[in-house]
Amino acid sequence: MIIAIVVAIAAGASIVIARNINSILAEKKGLLASTFFNYLTGFSLSVLFLLFSSESVTQTYHLLGTVPVWAYLGGLLGVAVVAISNLVTPKISAFYMSLIIFTGQLFTGIILDYFALGLLSIGKVIGGLLVVVGLIYNLYLDR
Amino acid sequence: MYKLLSAFIGVLITIMILLNGVLSQKLGNYASAMIIHLLGFISIILILIIKKIRISLSKDLPLYLYSGGLLGVFTILFNNISFNLLGASLTLALGLLGQSICSLILDHYGWLGMEVVQFRKEKLIGLTIIASGIIVMTLY
Repeated sequence: MIIAIVVAIAAGASIVIARNINSILAEKKGLLASTFFNYLTGFSLSVLFLLFSSESVTQTYHLLGTVPVWAYLGGLLGVAVVAISNLVTPKISAFYMSLIIFTGQLFTGIILDYFALGLLSIGKVIGGLLVVVGLIYNLYLDR
Repeated sequence: MYKLLSAFIGVLITIMILLNGVLSQKLGNYASAMIIHLLGFISIILILIIKKIRISLSKDLPLYLYSGGLLGVFTILFNNISFNLLGASLTLALGLLGQSICSLILDHYGWLGMEVVQFRKEKLIGLTIIASGIIVMTLY
């Protein structure tokens, strides 16, 4: 249980550290070149992980056709996320960037739930508004 | 401007997680992670070719600057482990806690290219409001 909690926190920390490392590389080599290296190393390691996982590569190959084509577009969005993050990361504090991204995720999630599933989670709206209020308060302190 | 772009990143990430989620349900966590990286790798290569950008390795740069992509794969691994043991909302909330703590440390010490933003006690009020918002979201 404790290990699971530490791992979950480490997952969050790894996002921020990777973002910052990529943006330093982007300042030296360019936004797109840094994105290229991100995918070069990431793809290589993901192949290793797949080979050592319990998932079968041949089975994956046969399943590829069963996935709707639009589901593959996530990989392209990832490229946009890495490239834009390379641009933004050096410009604003790591903390505000993390929280603003989170707020964007939260409200997009709420809007998607509402229009796709007709669901409106009051808890998520109230919680999200509290996050925004706290964020604006701290941004105001930094002025 | 950069704050707006950050919010836009959040919009993209949500749609990306949704699409990647469909992929990992069909293919499994690690197969989908590989496919997602492969597609990203192919698209960035195409973009570089179209924009005629040449890639070179600089020997004078420290090696750890190339580790961002490796960390990204570990993010997926850690999220998978946590998701199986703790469920979705706790994984999300603890992940956000990890991001916040890590960001505050990088800002405070000016590590990994950040400008130094000293932590001030007054900010604890804002942090408490943010934390309560995350708790409300996780519980409902």
